[in-house]
Formats: sequence, structure tokens, C-alpha cells
Amino acid sequence: MNQNQNKSNILGGPEIITERDIRLAILNILEDSEEEKRIAENERDKTKAIINNLADGLIIINGENRIFLINPQAEKLLRVRQEEIGGEVLSDLIKFSSLEKLAGLLVSKKELFREELILKEPKELILEVTTTTLPRREEKIVILRDVSREKLIDRMKTEFVSFAAHQLRAPLAAIKWAIKMFLEGDLGKVTKEQRGFLEKTYQTNEKLILLVNDLLNVTRMEEGRYLYKPILADIVKITQSVIDSYKEGIQKKKVKFELKKPKEKLPEVLVDLEKIKLVIDNLLSNAIKYTPSDGKVTITIARAKKEIEFSIKDTGIGIPKDQKEKVFSKFFRGTNALKTGAEGTGLGLFITKNIVEAHEGKIWFESEEGKGTTFFFTLPIPSNLTTRK
Amino acid sequence: MGKKILVVEDDKFLRELISRKLSGEGFEVSEAIDGEEGIKKIKEEKPDLVLLDLILPGIDGFEVLSKIKEDPNTAKIPVIILSNLGQREEVERGIKLGAVDYLIKAHFTPGEIVEKIKNALK
Repeated sequence: MNQNQNKSNILGGPEIITERDIRLAILNILEDSEEEKRIAENERDKTKAIINNLADGLIIINGENRIFLINPQAEKLLRVRQEEIGGEVLSDLIKFSSLEKLAGLLVSKKELFREELILKEPKELILEVTTTTLPRREEKIVILRDVSREKLIDRMKTEFVSFAAHQLRAPLAAIKWAIKMFLEGDLGKVTKEQRGFLEKTYQTNEKLILLVNDLLNVTRMEEGRYLYKPILADIVKITQSVIDSYKEGIQKKKVKFELKKPKEKLPEVLVDLEKIKLVIDNLLSNAIKYTPSDGKVTITIARAKKEIEFSIKDTGIGIPKDQKEKVFSKFFRGTNALKTGAEGTGLGLFITKNIVEAHEGKIWFESEEGKGTTFFFTLPIPSNLTTRK
Repeated sequence: MGKKILVVEDDKFLRELISRKLSGEGFEVSEAIDGEEGIKKIKEEKPDLVLLDLILPGIDGFEVLSKIKEDPNTAKIPVIILSNLGQREEVERGIKLGAVDYLIKAHFTPGEIVEKIKNALK
């Protein structure tokens, strides 16, 4: 601002400009730029202090893929020093195994968001890598977050749940067998009243078995050893077999049911048979459970370009608007679902989503409270099959 | 006389329940509480069928199964696995080793287990 005023003084000022005026103006300009410089230096120092004291590792890579800056935390995580690697091209630094791995990750995608990088030597370190590219300067900022501790705790939790669930299975089986033997008269006669109570006990125990099964499924998913040998299979056939197991339930509840499938044969999809059955089973049992008598459940299977689209529409209680975001999260139960008294572990849709995504499919839903819900999922058709009909 | 079933199961209560059910159905029942005793009784008693748990102290069920199948004197005895484990890997391993059926304890009632045994003995 000052500078501009001075300039206008020089150009548009009094007609006679003395030497003194000029000197003064120059001094003014110099003073201003000194000030600018100080501000810039201040800013630089501040930025440097922030970068150096960040809890996360930070690396700045310039457009030529050379390391421009690495902060102390990143030095520590990757076990390198700025002096050793500053100015070097990242992919040339293969003698540092940590950098080699990072370089590999960085070229794999344009932008990374919390991508996992596991370093083994000297002790296991799990880093989450996030990158941002500065738009004008082609510079890439790489942020490294050490999540080893979180991962360890997460793994311990998963192992604990898995252990607990396994330990629960044996006594649950014993209870199931004992009650069933009472009910089947193996242990002598039971009165009508006793039978009633035993039957309820049996049902309660069955619910517990289901819960333990769900918990085991969840922990297996979290341990990342979930999908098992995918095979090519016909989705219509799989669906039909699940529907068959629900025939009784459908009749009992008096809901109408329809399966819509295309006339031509659909290409087979690559699936873990048991898991996809579980997906369809979960969706169908939800649809039946939350649809009142006289309602209708419709399954539609169709081909959509390079995928198979499966949808299941019901005329049930729907999902409240304010809870739609949570539908796929662990232990979620809709408030309206709870009011109906329908049983559920809150794990079904969480498991379902994970299975579909493990198959590289998508899952979503549309719902209106009181009117009904439609769940959709897709499964990719293997690319060598898409050309065939 | 009824056919002889050997129950290899380390949990006392489960063993008691299934033995009771089997005797009630007219089977002759023999029991083993671990893998070692299981192998011994299979060789000595030559049961008509073995109901085999997998997680056992010492020698586990998979090992018992392979030992039975290795020995020509016992290889023909049908074995039904009755286990808490239900992973596909385990089921496949059991079937591969020669079990005629694989049942998960919590998913079958004693009545259903008897049905499976009767089928295997046909």
C-alpha cells in the first residue's frame, strides 16, 4: 500500500522532483521490502517449526521426484537422514528398503489416502500413507502416520473376540443337546408346561449360537482371512437355494414372494459360495423379518453391463431417515426395528457389506420409513466372460 | 446286538449326552477321552463307526483320523467328525483325510447326529 502511494507521489506529485524526494522514496521502498522479507522469514520459520514438530512424518517431493524435505519424524520412521537422501530421486534410493517400499506405493496410485505400508526391519512398523499434490508446483506432500500400536490393539481385540466365541461354542452345544434330549423324550417324560419352557430355552440358546457365529464371522473378516477359494457359479441357482430354505418362513409369515430373473442365462460370477449364500440369506431374512403379513418381497437379478445386479425389495417398516448412514455399521439396529421386537444381532448387514466388497462388488439401498426398503448389490462378471453371452 | 459306536470326545458332559442318546437308540457305545485312547480303542475294539472330535488333548482328531486311515485293519471304519470348528479349511481337510461326514456340534441336535450315523452305516 505504502509503496503505491509513494509511486503516485513520484509520478503525479509536484512538478519539480528534487533529489531529496527521490532518495526518500527509495528509502521507503527499501524499508517496505525489508518488512516483507521479515514477514516471509517469520512465516518460513513458523512453517519449519510446525513441520519439524509434527507427530506425523512428512516428506515433500518435487516434480522431478526428488526429495525436497523430510522432517525428523519421517527420518525416524523410515530410518534415513535428510543429509543422506535430500535432493535424491526417490526411486534411486533402493538401498534403503523402507524408501523402496514407499516409492513403490507412491507410483501405484496418483493420490494415496491412508494406504497401509508395512515395514518389517528391524521391527514391524505399520504406516498409513496419505499424499496431496500441490496444484501449481507439482510438489507432492507425503504424510506418514505410525499406526502400529492401533493395529496391535485391534488385532488383540479381534483375537480375544475370536477366542471367546470359540470357547462359547462348546458349552452352547452342550446346552443345545441336553435341552433337545429333554424335548425328544430321551430323558423321560416332560409335562406340557415344562415342554413350553424348554422350548423357549432352546430358542434362546439358538439365538446365542447365531450371535457367536456372527461374531466369529466378523473376527475372521477383521483378520483378513475371510474369502475362501472363489469359484465360478450361477447366481440365480445360489439365490434359488437360499429361497428354498426360507419357503416355510415365507408361508408362515404370509408375505408374497417373487423372484424375477432374466430369460437368458446369466454369465457366471466368481464367488465364495458359502459367503455369497450368507449375503443373500441375510438380505432375505431381513426382508421377511421386517415386512408385515400381506406384504411383498421381490428379488430381481439382472445383468448390468459388466456386472450382475441383485436387488431385494420389500414393503416393510423401512429405515428411519436419520439412521441411514449407520445401516452397515457393526451392531446397528433401527429404532423402529427394535420396537417390532424382531430379533437380530446387528451384525448381518455389516458382514454382508464386507462380503460384497471383498468380491469387488458394491452394496447400497433405498428406503422410506413405513413403505419399504430395497437393497442392491453387484458382483463383477469376470472380464474374460463379458464378451461371451 | 446293536452296532458299536466309539465316541472320541474330551468334554465329559458332551460325551455323556451323546452316549446316552446313542444307547437309547439301541447302539452299543464305547468312549475315549483323548486321541491316544481313541486310537487304542479303535484298534482293539474295531467299532462299526467312530464319532470323532477334532480338538483333543495330545493327539488331535486330524491325526487320529489319518492314523485310522493308514492302518489297513481300521481304514474301512467310517468316521464322522463332530467338531466345534466350522471353517471351510477344516471341513475340507477332514473330508480329504477320509471322514464320511463333518458335523458342527452347535448346528446339529443329537437326533440329527443319530440320523447321520444311521445313514453312514447303511
